[in-house]
Parts: sequence; C-alpha cells; structure tokens
Amino acid sequence: MADFRLPANSRIRKGVTHKAPEAAREVRAFRIYRFDPDSGENPRVDTFELEAGECGQMVLDALIRIKSTVDSSLAFRRSCREGICGSCAMNIDGLNRLACITSLHDLGREVHIYPLPHMPVVKDLVPDLTHFYAQYASVKPWLLAETPAPPDRERLQSKAEQEKIDRPAACILCACCSTSCPSYWWNSDRYLGPAALLAAYRWIIDSRDEASGQRLDALEDPFKLYRCHTIMNCTDVCPKDLNPAKAIAEIKKMLVERQS
Amino acid sequence: MTKSSGSMSSAAQPRPGRGGEARQGPGNLRSPLGRAIGAGCAKQGVQHWWTQRLSAVALVPLAIWFAVSMLSLPSHDYSTVSAWMAQGWTSVFLILFVLSAAWHSQLGVRVVVEDYVHDSGTKSLALALVTFFHVVVAVAGVFAILKVAFGGAA
Repeated sequence: MADFRLPANSRIRKGVTHKAPEAAREVRAFRIYRFDPDSGENPRVDTFELEAGECGQMVLDALIRIKSTVDSSLAFRRSCREGICGSCAMNIDGLNRLACITSLHDLGREVHIYPLPHMPVVKDLVPDLTHFYAQYASVKPWLLAETPAPPDRERLQSKAEQEKIDRPAACILCACCSTSCPSYWWNSDRYLGPAALLAAYRWIIDSRDEASGQRLDALEDPFKLYRCHTIMNCTDVCPKDLNPAKAIAEIKKMLVERQS
Repeated sequence: MTKSSGSMSSAAQPRPGRGGEARQGPGNLRSPLGRAIGAGCAKQGVQHWWTQRLSAVALVPLAIWFAVSMLSLPSHDYSTVSAWMAQGWTSVFLILFVLSAAWHSQLGVRVVVEDYVHDSGTKSLALALVTFFHVVVAVAGVFAILKVAFGGAA
C-alpha cells in the first residue's frame, strides 16, 4: 500500500536553535531540514536566526551566509545563482523553487526549507536525483534521424517549427515539477514524471526528429505516461514558467489521434 | 555511535541517506537506467484513457436526464416509479445510464487501485474484485430495469 507515514528512520525530530546575536534588531528565522547519513540519527529541523539585514536578497544568499558564519556542515547544491543551472531546487515554505531566485522579501519572518519532497536524501538539502536523471535518459533526449544531415550545413528548421520547441527546450531539469507531483511521489518507480515527459514531448514535436512514432510507442503505458492525473502542481511550481502538464496532455492527444 | 563506525554498522539498513538503496534495498546493483526502463512499455493505456473520457461525456446528459426525470415525477412511490421505468425510452436511457456509470466507475477505481496498491499480489486481487464488482452491479442493474420493463406494472 501507499505509505501514509514516513518510515521510522525518516521521522523528523526537534533540532537545535542557533540564536541571533543579542544586538540584532530585526531577526529572520530559517527552519532547515538537516540529515547526516553518518550520524545514524533521524533527520531534524534546525533553526538559524539571522539579523535581517545580513541575509542578502535571495534564499540562497541566506543559506550561504548560514554556511559561512554559523554552521559549515550545512549541505546544499548551488552553482549559477541566476536560475539557469537548476542546482538549488528545494522546498521553500511548502513550494518547490530555486533558492537563488526566490526573494526573501516575498517570504515571511520565518522561512521553512526542506529538500525536494519524496526523494531519498543524501545529506541536508541534497536529494538523490539518480533515478530522476535515469528517467530523463530513458526517453532518449537527443535527435534520432535516419536521414543524414546535409553535408554542408545544419538540419534546418522553420521559425514556426523552432517556436514549437522553444519553451519545452528551456527546461533546466531542476526537478521542481516531478518532485511536486503526488502521482510521482506514489509511483516514481514507474511513472516518468513531468520533467522526463516534457523532454519526451520536446523531441516528439521537433521537426528534425524522425523517431516521433517510436517515442510515442515507448510512452504508451499505464504507468510511464498515464499516471498523470492532471494535478497541475508541475506547471504551478516550474521556476522557468514552462507547462509540463500541457505537454503531457498533448502527448495523450497524439496517442489518441494516431489511432483513427 | 561515533561518526565512522555509525555509517559502517548501520549500512545494512536502508535509510533516507542511501539513495538507490533507500528505494531498492541494499544489494540491488541494477543500473539506474535499467531501473528507469523497468519492464518496458505495456503498449496500452490509450483505450483506457479515451473510454474514460467518452463515458464521462455520455454521463453528463444521462445524469442530467435522470435527475430531472426523478424530480419531475409526481410522487416517488413504487407504482409511479415502476410505471415510469416501464416506458420504452425510459428503460433504454436507464440501461445506458447504468452501463456508462459502471464502466466509468470501473475505469476510475482501477486507476485508484493502481495508484495506491503496490504489492503485486494484493493489486491483482484488488483489480479482479473491482472488475467483478462492477460487472455484478451492471448486470444486476440492467436485469432490474428489464424486469420492471417487461414484467408489467406490479
């Protein structure tokens, strides 16, 4: 059956509080999920209080501040700090988003930060995305064509053809969408999830690709594709404003249309 | 537990921190891609998806017709309702309503079971029971309607 409670070793216990200095005038509290695989202990939620003026603009700035001034053992992924690498995806105040482009001004005095939901945790805010990436690889996210490319130039696309894939191709694989999807939580072993399906759609509709049929064949499965119950969390949380739910609906439509 | 011995002694138990092992249990060395591909593609699902939509569309007018008819009956005693049911078109629409509803429900409940029941034995059993239940409901419903329609007003 579906698990309605966390496994005993994943239940969260109370953590420690790092107080702001007495002199702090305005305090912001960050309640952060901590898990250390080497301690053998259950995860906990630590509270870090910072002087509001020292937090910086974005959630990522505050995390870096905490790591460099309060607790250097805090683990999180980050790289570009401008919303294009997708590394710092995490659950901030209940929504999956990128820490680097989530402004502290839009959040309250207390900010709750957890790793992406329902993924195995490597440490603190670092989820294990191995399976997520493998699912992406399983849709063969590259050009498949029998026709050789013209010897003297690239495979051409019209402007209209490019515009079709322009948005879907902007996915940064941050995993915000897939890990916000309840259907992915319950069945991620078999359901590909919105990110991988958006990638599949991006290649199905690519005018240069000649494997659209094989790609559709590979998705025609009660679990790989049809676990999508149009919950729409994916589209809600996408930090790049993409629409994986619509891509999945289009795939379902193409599968019906090619039957009659 | 000390830091180093902690990770060694409890390594046998799947824990949140153990990535692949947390999902698969320790000792599963199948590659991530192999796991993602799994048993491959069942080559079905389109019919289920499409008939679920078709039956939903059919249920809209049928349900409205049923509700309006029931509300506009002068009374709801046995003789009035069975006389109404025995009319030709009423019986036809009632049978269509029962069959569409049972079919639609079967498709939906099946998905719920697939979503939440993960043990393959329990799942097969639950799906079989779901199918049987809906067939029984549909057959019993149609039989009841026909009995009233052809049995003459009681």
